[in-house]
Amino acid sequence: MLSRWITAFYLVYLAVPIALLVIGSFGHLWLNTVLPTGFTLQWYRDVAGDPSFRRAFVASLAVAMMVCAACVALGLPLAYAIFRARSPAVRSLARVLYQMPVALPPLVLAFGFILVFSSDTLPWLGSIWLLAAGHVVLGLPYFLQTVVADMQRLGLDALEDAADSLGSSGWQRFVYVVVPSLRQSILAGLIIVAALSLGEFQFSNLVAGFLNRTYPVVLLQAFYGATGFACAATVVLLLLALAAAIAGGFVSGSAERMKAAAA
Amino acid sequence: MSATASAVPFGHTGNADAGAAVALDGVSYRYPGSTAGVQDVALTIAPGELVVCIGPSGCGKTTLLRLIAGFLKPDAGTIRLEGNDVGTLPVRSRECGIVFQSYALFPHMRVWENVAYPLRVRGVAVADRQHRALAMLDQVGLRGFAERLPAQLSGGQQQRVALGRALIFEPHALLLDEPLSALDAATRTTMRDEVRRIQRAHAIASLLITHDQDEALSLADRVIVMRDGRVVQDAPPLAIYDTPADEFVANFVGRANLIDGTASGPDSVDTPVGRLATRTHGRGTGSTVRLLVRPERIELVRSVDGENVFAAHAARDRFFGASRRVEATVGTARLEIETNARDTIEFVRIPRDAIQFLHHP
Repeated sequence: MLSRWITAFYLVYLAVPIALLVIGSFGHLWLNTVLPTGFTLQWYRDVAGDPSFRRAFVASLAVAMMVCAACVALGLPLAYAIFRARSPAVRSLARVLYQMPVALPPLVLAFGFILVFSSDTLPWLGSIWLLAAGHVVLGLPYFLQTVVADMQRLGLDALEDAADSLGSSGWQRFVYVVVPSLRQSILAGLIIVAALSLGEFQFSNLVAGFLNRTYPVVLLQAFYGATGFACAATVVLLLLALAAAIAGGFVSGSAERMKAAAA
Repeated sequence: MSATASAVPFGHTGNADAGAAVALDGVSYRYPGSTAGVQDVALTIAPGELVVCIGPSGCGKTTLLRLIAGFLKPDAGTIRLEGNDVGTLPVRSRECGIVFQSYALFPHMRVWENVAYPLRVRGVAVADRQHRALAMLDQVGLRGFAERLPAQLSGGQQQRVALGRALIFEPHALLLDEPLSALDAATRTTMRDEVRRIQRAHAIASLLITHDQDEALSLADRVIVMRDGRVVQDAPPLAIYDTPADEFVANFVGRANLIDGTASGPDSVDTPVGRLATRTHGRGTGSTVRLLVRPERIELVRSVDGENVFAAHAARDRFFGASRRVEATVGTARLEIETNARDTIEFVRIPRDAIQFLHHP
């Protein structure tokens, strides 16, 4: 009974600010009242028509996609190397190393990037590539965690031994067995990484150049303007994050169904 | 090995190498940084023969399988498949069908795709490989399961898929790594017979690894007992049970009463049980011997009359339905007796032909 109340309270606590944002984004006027008055779609039209928001939206999507691509290219071999490491000491050391960015505040990472990349030798501060590179550092731990755990759960080493014994070349083994059997955790990992990148503020705010600021960075400025506009701009980000979360839920849901069928 | 060979009355005679499907000679392997591995192993498997390798965990039996399959490269010795030295060949070129302990079915492939996988990597056209996979599924008793995913099958069914997948590319040898250990007791017995039937149908040289003595005795054409990386005995199941090479084999395969004694004449041995009438096979009076008597060979009798009959007193009596296992004090020794008689224990008889001489260590 108590747990039910706590759950209910938590849901309210979670939902109220979001509900207010949504209501505010459709409200015509919101001055010193509990709820806004009037209904309008004007704020959304304004956000959609704002060139800096449009550019930020595109930049955010571009960065997220670059981060995902980099995570697959870097993360898959890394996860594989960690999984195959023979000595348990090497494995736990690798775990500590790759989990470090989780404990590292993005602010610290940003200062590091500014120091390194504002120099004359590496003058890349402000490029979209550098922004994506930072997001990779922040997101890769989650990707690795998800994929390595799945490799262990599947017993990937035995699957590879089987593929070898049945006559696969290394490439056939990778394409026919390794990647497809990991596809769900790869997808789930990428969704986490994409959601993280889309919502990341601390690092992006300091490192992004003026022309490729990401959506959350631009969003901060909206709060100096009309309340309705700020709400609408926030709801857009919320929808993006929600899309990623729903996609993630869908993927892990189908994984659950597969496991349930096995039981 | 020489001691082993002399203890084997009708084992293989060693000239099988010529036409052997699998032949190992002097194979040694040591895991880096440890003392575990295998030491100087010789082994041949004739075409169509099922050899079961049995031993306690860590005895090197799985290492042996991984050496033949090519996952490990021997430090010394040669491994031949169908007469060809495969020592330098990678796993994928050795053409050994392997059934793994965990089955290792590909979770994202349907049953027929799993079975057809070896054909896929060999470039067989999809229609042809589906046709052959379905035929194989028929053979392993899985007609109608082709479109399922492995996760939707029971353990025994997964085992059948693994067998079909390991056989479809007509490998030189079939290697089974504790294939039945993950199954429940009832399924295990059924699958034991199935493995035998399918292995026979394909007439393929096979090596099955197990730690289960029932599995070894009931399945094998020939049993190899391993201990500490060495082959202790290599003989047909009957010989392994009836004339174990040593105390270890006697204890590991079946249950054993080991009785130490001293030869007291050409026809008798003094033991804690009493004076046993048995031929001493030329051992001099006063030499120490170790005797083996299987628990089921000891008979319960009603009177003290006859040869090798001793008074017995039951110390522990356990009933298992079909049989009954009694630990009895006979003389100053403790003997294990297996019987299906329900009587109280008063006297036991140890028939002459139930007494075996073991090589004294």
